[in-house]
Amino acid sequence: MSNKAHATHDVILRVEDVTKKFPAPGGQELTACSHVSFNVRAGETVAIVGESGCGKTTLLKTLMNIHPPTEGRILFHGEDVTKLTGEERRENYRHIQMVFQDPTAAFDPKMRIRDIICEPLENFGEVRADEKEEKARALLRQVELPEDFTDRYPHNMSGGQRQRVAIARALALSPEVIACDEATSALDVSVQDRIIRLLVRLQEEKGIAYVFICHDLALVSLFAHRVVIMYLGHVMERIAGAELQQACHPYTQALLRSVFSTDMEKNQHISVLPGEIPSPLDIPVGCPFQTRCPVARDICHRESPGLREIAPGHFVACHEPQAPLA
Amino acid sequence: MLLDVSHLEISYAQKGKEPKPTVHDVTFSLEKGEVLAIVGESGSGKTTVIRALLGCLPVGGQMTGGMASFDGQDLRTLPEKGWQKLRGRDISMIFQDSGSMMNPVQTIGHQYVEFLRTHEKMTKSEARAMAVEKLALMNLPSPEHIMDSYAFELSGGMRQRVGIAMAITFQPKLLLADEPTSALDVTTQAQIAGELTYVTRGLGTAMIIVTHNIGLAAALSDRILVMAGGRVVEYGASQEVMEHPQADYTKSLLASVPEIGGRRYVE
Ligand SMILES: Nc1ncnc2c1ncn2[C@@H]1O[C@H](COP(=O)(O)OP(=O)(O)OP(=O)(O)O)[C@@H](O)[C@H]1O
Ligand SMILES: Nc1ncnc2c1ncn2[C@@H]1O[C@H](COP(=O)(O)OP(=O)(O)O)[C@@H](O)[C@H]1O
Ligand code: SF4
Ligand SMILES: [Mg+2]
Ligand SMILES: [Mg+2]
Repeated sequence: MSNKAHATHDVILRVEDVTKKFPAPGGQELTACSHVSFNVRAGETVAIVGESGCGKTTLLKTLMNIHPPTEGRILFHGEDVTKLTGEERRENYRHIQMVFQDPTAAFDPKMRIRDIICEPLENFGEVRADEKEEKARALLRQVELPEDFTDRYPHNMSGGQRQRVAIARALALSPEVIACDEATSALDVSVQDRIIRLLVRLQEEKGIAYVFICHDLALVSLFAHRVVIMYLGHVMERIAGAELQQACHPYTQALLRSVFSTDMEKNQHISVLPGEIPSPLDIPVGCPFQTRCPVARDICHRESPGLREIAPGHFVACHEPQAPLA
Repeated sequence: MLLDVSHLEISYAQKGKEPKPTVHDVTFSLEKGEVLAIVGESGSGKTTVIRALLGCLPVGGQMTGGMASFDGQDLRTLPEKGWQKLRGRDISMIFQDSGSMMNPVQTIGHQYVEFLRTHEKMTKSEARAMAVEKLALMNLPSPEHIMDSYAFELSGGMRQRVGIAMAITFQPKLLLADEPTSALDVTTQAQIAGELTYVTRGLGTAMIIVTHNIGLAAALSDRILVMAGGRVVEYGASQEVMEHPQADYTKSLLASVPEIGGRRYVE
């Protein structure tokens, strides 16, 4: 027990000032992530929220060492994983697994589910050929899929079933960190509820940390210990999941106002954020959110607001933080 | 009645196995301009049902029982020629990510113009003018500029609006939408919900929307159909289903919807 308490305290992953730029046509540069920092502790869930195209997937891929950052470091147990090469780099994947946003694209269509699920185990020599079937069946059971799906191909399944195969695959190696890119968006809420319970149970038992990209703010508020809100590659706000309603960044508040509810009365009050997200090729000087912000001032067009801690653990990048909605 | 589906059964052929129906006994109907939301269990056959209505089940999939008729035509016996006339014209579909349906190396405009010209005799400049007009309907800023863009240059929400613009070009009687907002953040989702409301309530297009977002389903639809285990477990007026669910499955589904301020999974 004391062991567990200790384990849930340690920072195992540090994202330090990560910037990722991509070359764009015509010699331009596209900034997908800009100076992003946060820590992930063992046994903790950090959710990343933000508009599509704001750089969430790019950030996870950097964290997974799929591509190097343009600037900044990713420290896993104090070691910069972006510098790893060869065998060390390969070994690192054993401890950090990812559930990709689009399993259809991530899976080899010619592989059967058994082989897809057991692939990470095979890569590290952790499963014998004659154990695969049984291992795959056990993992399928965990994510509530029929065991005889081991013989299927990914295209013979529904979207939500494929998504659960991706989760089962990430669980196979019992990694320390699982990075989930919209991993439950294709599930019905009742299966989602049980998958989240499963993830939480594994987290409590094994101290797994989740970095969880998710559009469902309600789910985030119930599942995440901490939330990072991004816009146009920049961190706008960092806040505890339980306190999401206390958010005071105008963008976070716009997100909160857009959530559909089962209360049909509340849906009358959904408000749509006007305008479009600017091109990441052409990020405005000053605050990235200025073109859509209802309370922008002069200074917002000149000076970029840095992240400031306005309450313990609550950071906001805004010249004009707002009173909480609730 | 625009669409009449009764006791529909759909099966996927499986190698070396007797085909077992995946979808059983699905019955519902749709009037002109009416909106139906299908919600329910993952793997219960929602996508299967709407793909059957578009005549594009994956290889091996087939309607094996019951009947489905659209605007007086029997869809089970409709020859491929008949489908070609319906699809993209009277019935059209939008997907989870319209971007993935687009060719990455051709401009949006090129693809849109080509799509228009396969369905209707018109010159390139007529087609271009029509495309620009439809894009503007979807509140896309500078449609001319969009026409010259590639799919990867647009945000997910913009791509989805292009997808809707294309789908409604020929003023279809029925729009099918399979999880059209699952890949989108909440602000973009609210924007797309606004465009879909314009298409259904403003233009009078009937729609079947499949979604896991029960709140969204309730906000957009007249009626809700709940599926589980390959069957319909509940079907009724949206407000009625939301406020007085009858089936145990529906009750547990509604109880699982996460709401801000609800019970947390973690401390
Ligand atoms: N091409 C196929 N061949 C065989 N079985 C299939 C095929 N496509 C889907 N299935 C099966 O048919 C059932 C219904 O699938 P469908 O895609 O219609 O589900 P769905 O309700 O849309 O689920 P989700 O909410 O996860 O998208 C599932 O059990 C799935 O495994
Ligand atoms: N490999 C790449 N090359 C060039 N641009 C990219 C690449 N991957 C992502 N981008 C761009 O970076 C930005 C952020 O994308 P992404 O990380 O996928 O956002 P999100 O996951 O938040 O939707 C987008 O403008 C996207 O077009
Ligand atoms: S810094 Fe200015 S523009 Fe940016 S969110 Fe705050 S008030 Fe709005
Ligand atoms: Mg992404
Ligand atoms: Mg589906």
